[in-house]
Formats: sequence, C-alpha cells, structure tokens
Amino acid sequence: MSSEPTGFLYPFIEAEERDGTTLLVDLARSADAKIIESEYLRAASLQGCEELLEEAGSSMASRFAAGGRLFAFGNGGSATDAEGTVQLFRDPPYGRALPALSLVDDRAVLTALANDVGFELVFSRQLIAHARPGDIAVGFSTSGDSLNVLRGLEEAARRQLLPIGLCGYEGSAMALSDAVAHCLVVRSESVHRIQEAQAALTLRLWSVVQRRLDERRRP
Amino acid sequence: MMTQMGAPRSNPSEGPAAALAGAALTLARRFAAGATMWCVAPQWPSHARHVAVEFVHPVIVGKRALPACSLEGEEAERALRLLARPGDILLLVAPADDAGAANLLSRAEAWGLTRLWLGTGQRPAPSRADHLVWTDTREPELAPYSGDLVLLYHLLWELTHVVFEHPGLLTPDSVCTEVCITCSDEGRVAEVRALLGSGMVEVVAEGKHETVDASLVDPVAPGDLLLIHAGVALTALAGDRS
Repeated sequence: MSSEPTGFLYPFIEAEERDGTTLLVDLARSADAKIIESEYLRAASLQGCEELLEEAGSSMASRFAAGGRLFAFGNGGSATDAEGTVQLFRDPPYGRALPALSLVDDRAVLTALANDVGFELVFSRQLIAHARPGDIAVGFSTSGDSLNVLRGLEEAARRQLLPIGLCGYEGSAMALSDAVAHCLVVRSESVHRIQEAQAALTLRLWSVVQRRLDERRRP
Repeated sequence: MMTQMGAPRSNPSEGPAAALAGAALTLARRFAAGATMWCVAPQWPSHARHVAVEFVHPVIVGKRALPACSLEGEEAERALRLLARPGDILLLVAPADDAGAANLLSRAEAWGLTRLWLGTGQRPAPSRADHLVWTDTREPELAPYSGDLVLLYHLLWELTHVVFEHPGLLTPDSVCTEVCITCSDEGRVAEVRALLGSGMVEVVAEGKHETVDASLVDPVAPGDLLLIHAGVALTALAGDRS
C-alpha cells in the first residue's frame, strides 16, 4: 500500500466528485490484486521456509512432549498475532491442546514493566519470571527491529528456551540475531502482507507440531 | 437502513472484493460524519483488537488515526448500549452461527448502528448486516489463523483510506433512491429501555427513543427486543434471532 499512490488513477479528484461508481470499481479491482498478492506471498513464504518450519516444528514438538510451554509476544498487530497463536495452540479447532501463554495479555504486568523499567524490557522481564529451560519463545515483529521483541528472544536464548522469530524485510536485526534459533522471514515490505504471511507460517508451524506429536505417540 | 443505500452488495458467488469496496465506502462516509467503529470478535478477540489497532494507529505514516475500539464479547452488549451513538459502526468478526454476534447485530439495528460483518465459511442471510464481507476458504475453522480473516480487514483499512482521497464522495447520497425501512410497511427492531405502565414502554429504534404500546406482547422487560410498527409492539424477538 505504501508504495501505491493512487492519485494518478483519479485525475478528477475534486470535492465536486459525486458519483462513487468508478471508485467502487477501482476499489474492487485493487482489492482483487491485493488478494492475489497476499495469496502469492503466503504460498512463497511457506515454500521458502519449508525446511525451517519442519526443523522448528520438530524441536517445538520435542519440547512440548517433555513438558515445555510456549510464550508468544509482539507489538500492536503483532501482539494480536501472538494472542492468536496462543489461542491456536491452546484451543485448536482440532488436534491436541498445548500449553501456551501470551505475554501481551496482562495489562497490569505490561504497564508496570513499561513504566518502571522501560518498554524495551516488557517481554524479557516476564520471561525471567516465567520461563524454564525447555520452554519455547515465539516473537513477532514485522520490521524485525522491535527492541522489546529482540530483548525477549535474547533472554529466551540465555535461559535455554527455543527462540523462534517471525519477521518481514530481509536483513533486519532479528534475521541477523544469533539469539534466534529459527527465524522465519517474509520477503515483503508491506506490513499488512507480511502479517498475513506470518499467520500462514504460524499455522504451518502448528500443523508440523501436531504431526510430530502424533508420530511420537505411535510406536 | 440508510447505509444500505449508495453502496452495492457483492455477488455472493464472487470473492470479497466488491463487498470490501462497498463496505469501505460506507466506513469512510461514517467516519467522515464522526462515527466510532466498535470491533467485536466473540470467538477470536485478538481479531477485534487487531482491526481496532489498524484504524487507530495506521501502519502508514501520515494516514489519519480513526476512532476504533475493541470490546470483549461478554462486555460488548452492555458497553455498547452505553457508549455507541446512532451512526456509529459495529464491526463483527464471527462465523455465521455465532449466537453472540447475532444478538449484537439485532441490537445494533435498534441502536442505529451501521453493521459490518466479516467472516468465513457458511454465509449468513444478507439481511443480517449492512455489509457482509465473506471469504471462502477450504478449511473455514482454520481461517482465523491462516491470514484469510486478517487479509479482509487489512484490505478494509487500505480501501477506506483510498476513499478519503475522494472528499466529494464522503457525503452520503442526498437523494434516497430506495425505500427506507422507516418509510415502508416493515416492522423495525426496538430495544426496551423502560416500562412506563399500562402496557406502554420506552424503546430505542434506529437509535431514537420512542414510546410504544407493548400490551400485545406483555410481559416485557428492559433489554428485550421487540418488532414495532406504527407505535405498537407486534412481537417479541429472541435476543439472538438466529
């Protein structure tokens, strides 16, 4: 969206414009193009991350099988992605329910930490309190540069959690971080398209975990 | 409803593009008129919060911040009764069979809200909302997690801001070309606010307070939904009307 000025499509943009028909046709056409773009990026991201997803999902399954828990975090829309991820793991439409906790849900904890020690530490401080070796940390940042998400993943690495990162834009701090065991990168510069692809990646991660746990149960 | 005029409904056999376009035009017009958008997703509260943050804090620097607010499913009805003003928007993200969504949609009609319903899977009846924006996916139960639902409201935000580039289109059509429900013989949904005695009750319909004779449907209680016509309550409606 950011790179798509639409003004040239509408040379008649004036306050006098009254008939919305042309605009509605253009809006629908634009929506269709973006839907195709989103579907393409989601498919390309799943394909590009196939091996990583398999590796990360297998490691997660081992940790869940050994009693590990998942902690998810992010900012803004990514905070809601973290919440959605926790809902998917803990209350899935089918498959087994797994222990997962969102670090963006408790407003008392979040505001206390932000006010007292700074927003950069809101996730790492919660991990210090909650996390045990064998747990899993999933951090979402479309830019890949959110400091609090990076600090959270670094703290997770120090405490022998499995740190998994999801980000957009190649070459971000998250993609280059040594702390992140598995970094799933969406190659796009549109925040919205990145978030849609991150959802698809997370869903696939969940399905790998479910499959691996099923395989473990079989002799 | 006034909001059904001026923006075409999509053909259900097509993708959501036309529905998104119509919904975006309505949204921009409502926002331009001072509306707040209330976002509720009874089964997936994170989606309600995600829509709200998109509008309040745009990802693109320079785009205007718009008043949107998410409410949790259980508190939504009570909060909206107090907070929502006629002309505001109710945006629901929910499957067709969600009883909580159905209840809110019925009440939103009485409260005079424009109703947008985003979802996936089996489609509800088109009359349940002013704009239905539906997406077809192979596994509807996974759509909340696959990016399909997120895509719908991302596009809604993007298109709404395109409409803002067309100030001449932000005022609703001045001429009513369709028959409004108020001008027709149809009954209207009303929510009971107070019992006035002798079968008379104070209700809210299309966001306006009025007094109707409810002796035909006695007993009624505050919060009940009624179908009213010409100053008379014809029948009681179940809260969820599903």
